Amino acid sequence: MRGEVAIVGYGRTPYSRAKPGERILTVDEYIAWAAELALQSAGMSKNDFDGQGLGIAHAEASHTVNWSAAVAEGLGISAKVLLRADQGGASGAALLIRAAAMIKAGIIDRALIIGADTPCTIPSVAPGLPLSPERTRGVFWDFQGPFAVMGANSQFALVQTRYMHQYRLREDELSRSLGKIASVSRYHASLNPGAIYRKPFTIEEYLASRILSYPVRLFDCVPLVNGGLAYIVTSAKTAAKVTKKPVHLLGFDEINNYYHGPRTAPDITYTGFEQTAPAAFKMAGIECKDIDLFLPYDDYPMVVQIQMEDYGFCKKGEGVRFVQERDLTFRGNFPISTDGGQLSGGQPGGAIGGFMPIIEAAAQLRAEAGERQVKDVKFVASSGFGGMTYARNNRSCVSLIFGSER
Amino acid sequence: MAQEAQAKPLPQITDLTRPFWTAAKNRKLVMQKCTRCGTMNFYPKAWCVECGNRDLQWVETKPTGTVYSYTVATAVMMNFPGWKDDLPIVLGIIDVDDGARMYGQITDCAPDKVHIGMRVQAYFADISEEAAVPKFRPV
Repeated sequence: MRGEVAIVGYGRTPYSRAKPGERILTVDEYIAWAAELALQSAGMSKNDFDGQGLGIAHAEASHTVNWSAAVAEGLGISAKVLLRADQGGASGAALLIRAAAMIKAGIIDRALIIGADTPCTIPSVAPGLPLSPERTRGVFWDFQGPFAVMGANSQFALVQTRYMHQYRLREDELSRSLGKIASVSRYHASLNPGAIYRKPFTIEEYLASRILSYPVRLFDCVPLVNGGLAYIVTSAKTAAKVTKKPVHLLGFDEINNYYHGPRTAPDITYTGFEQTAPAAFKMAGIECKDIDLFLPYDDYPMVVQIQMEDYGFCKKGEGVRFVQERDLTFRGNFPISTDGGQLSGGQPGGAIGGFMPIIEAAAQLRAEAGERQVKDVKFVASSGFGGMTYARNNRSCVSLIFGSER
Repeated sequence: MAQEAQAKPLPQITDLTRPFWTAAKNRKLVMQKCTRCGTMNFYPKAWCVECGNRDLQWVETKPTGTVYSYTVATAVMMNFPGWKDDLPIVLGIIDVDDGARMYGQITDCAPDKVHIGMRVQAYFADISEEAAVPKFRPV
């Protein structure tokens, strides 16, 4: 599957925290806006997708069971194939794999893939609570909410505590490392007009931010925003016709509900990326050392550091030293999260943030990243990471390798 | 459902999960044991995650376990406001001795004394007429 498809256009709407006085857009408006930006970027029309593929990520604001079909209706696109992913932060990446397989099979030639959500304005179960009805129903919630699980903060904190214990790290060692990742993300956000939080902070300021769920701090937590993103993927043949700057999908792999070790007692310091990243590199025919830019799913810095290990950039448990020894900025020897990541860029819902690394990979490989452009970037590794399991690590892992040349 | 008025979340009890809540009300910790491969499943499942057998039997486990990991919440996030009065809340992942892994609050211990590997024992706190929740304290 190496190089069979390419991204030929992408779009990302401005984000909003839905502050009083702002015009509040619905999820349908963000979908249309993101699609418009992607179509403009590709020089295509929505009618080019009649008889082709339309992909949509399930979001918390999704307002019907027939979500993908309703989106097609809203946009007036008569798609032959509807793709829908409901893998949270892995959806954007999973949809790319689905579309690539459909294109390779000859069922379609191209697909418009969209994700949008409005987590700042979804109806919650009680005033002032950032909990959608979807998050508070069913057996999964019933065995968390009443047990005092505080959402993703608790879940990532539990991974972080275990990680410190298992790799014999002092709290301040790990905190400084995570602080470096968070502050580099913020520095990159300061160079990205589309990022939501743009005032740089130092590692010391990170360390001074208050603890929300030990050892997770305020500056470890992703800020929710309303927004939408989209990309267009075509066969390599069509890509060569419509653009001079196709972004080739060179490698990918995916695993859902991964266990490192026994199902009943897995090691939660590992993710499925230890399996998907080597497979994606193998398909691409390249190695870790060839990667010019790493765009991991980055809603918490701990997730970024674990991915550095599970992708094989360093050994397990050596992430702290790896981060310490590298310059993570766009000018450095191991650039990450050049768009400011979700941490400072903003997360348009837990289901849609996973589009951001794909859109930034495309911007960088097309040399359209402005002030934060990585010089001579040829190979980008990115990821989608979706959902948290019960008392384990995450649910869905997707690794992607992109290249400027086929 | 009058969830809006609730200070803390209550489970929506189904026939699948009722044995757990009823047992907790009777001060017992129960989990689903697979009648084929013996795997203990938790939270309540529709079949055994190890072998796919739908015949699962609720059995009582020892109330003791070991802390696999923990976190100390100092703010209420993604949960109901009623937890505020209980902060700081220590939440653990507990490896129940002859059971499966589960989330559980750890109480009766200063947050800075909680540690991985700590031995704990379950006790039960009523949350409604029908349900109680197991919590853990140091042995």
